[in-house]
Amino acid sequence: MRKILQVLLLLQLWWGAAFAEAPLPPAPQQWVTDGAGFLSPATRQRLDRRLATYQQATGHQVLVWIGDTTAEVPLEDWTVRTFAAWKVGRKGMDDGVVLFILAKDQKLRMEVGYGLEGQLPDALASRIIREAILPRLKGGDRDGAVTAGTDQLLRTLGGETGAARPGKGTGGLASLGFGSWLLIGLLAVGFVALFITHPDMAIFILFSLLSGGRGGGGGGGGGGFSGGGGRSGGGGASGSW
Amino acid sequence: MGMGSKIALGCGGLLVLVVLIFGMTVMGSYNTLNTLNQAVDAQWGQVENVYQRRTDLVPNLVETVKGAAAFEKDTFTAVTEARAKVGQVSLGAKPGNDAAAMEKFQKAQEGLGSALSRLMVVVEKYPDLKATQNFRDLQAQLEGTENRITVERMRFNEAARAFNTQRNSFPTVIIAAFFGDKFKDKVYFKAQAGAEVAPKVKF
Repeated sequence: MRKILQVLLLLQLWWGAAFAEAPLPPAPQQWVTDGAGFLSPATRQRLDRRLATYQQATGHQVLVWIGDTTAEVPLEDWTVRTFAAWKVGRKGMDDGVVLFILAKDQKLRMEVGYGLEGQLPDALASRIIREAILPRLKGGDRDGAVTAGTDQLLRTLGGETGAARPGKGTGGLASLGFGSWLLIGLLAVGFVALFITHPDMAIFILFSLLSGGRGGGGGGGGGGFSGGGGRSGGGGASGSW
Repeated sequence: MGMGSKIALGCGGLLVLVVLIFGMTVMGSYNTLNTLNQAVDAQWGQVENVYQRRTDLVPNLVETVKGAAAFEKDTFTAVTEARAKVGQVSLGAKPGNDAAAMEKFQKAQEGLGSALSRLMVVVEKYPDLKATQNFRDLQAQLEGTENRITVERMRFNEAARAFNTQRNSFPTVIIAAFFGDKFKDKVYFKAQAGAEVAPKVKF
């Protein structure tokens, strides 16, 4: 019994230390989050829209997240916990992928959900990093590196429809498809109904949406990213430049 | 109805109530323990999976390295022997419930882990081998597998801790005792002596 308590205490200390060192970043609202000024705004926006469309087409949640540093926490440990906290991918299918880039650490990792380990085994993830991303990063082409990495990642996972290609980049309302309009219509009807029955709650929702807003216009198809309950088990690959 | 029978009825009612509450407590505790127990078993399955993954990787890795580094015979033998030992241990046992079995399991796996990291150090001497696509893929797989092992072990310890906490809290601890070995305390993975056994060889 005493032994168990000791082990428990040790575990707790260990966990406590691990968590105290590194508060995990909050779940992103977008598919591509750039907290380090790593990408040009245009590229970030284009990739974000593309990954949003990709999720609509396939259900797979693929994210790019760029930050500065993990603050001395081993990268693999940090990414698996962050992935778990964000719940990337659908529940039960665990079909999420996050490309983490730590600009100051000069490290990156592709963390792959359980459900995509078959389509994207470690060796392939590692190849994408080695062949598509790292050479460009070493050459200073950050936009190109992340774009090429996303390209190859989506090609490996498959299912990206032709229409989803960025192409024209008109952005805004014009690029919304019929499905998105329908969704927006339904949401609007629902909101009006809520406003009639529970005006206070409707106003509250409106307020919280606006205060958390992403500065209008820019975002991809309908609403931001939110995790679906997926999990990862440390699959994927890492690299550094 | 007389006073006596009223009291008897009251007592009877109280008894029924007590038995009911007791029964429900036992049932609730049993079900909670059972759920947590299943979670530990499932997580143990994951742990075995990822270790098995590493074991399966070994022949391919040894073959690939052998082709380019035929002189390192001792290293290959060490890896092969360590792999054989792992095979003997993990058959059938469920070490999560048994401290001795857990110790044996962990020791065998650590043996393979350090034999593999020695192999990866040896590879350092062969830049041509390191540059091949085949070896790089294998290396990515090995790194991924080691990482998965860390993750699933950590999750096993979490599941075991959840079980043990519940099992040793009141009144579950009394109820767990009724069922004897079925709800024994779970054993944890211990941090390895020199936790960097995993081959963290960066190229």
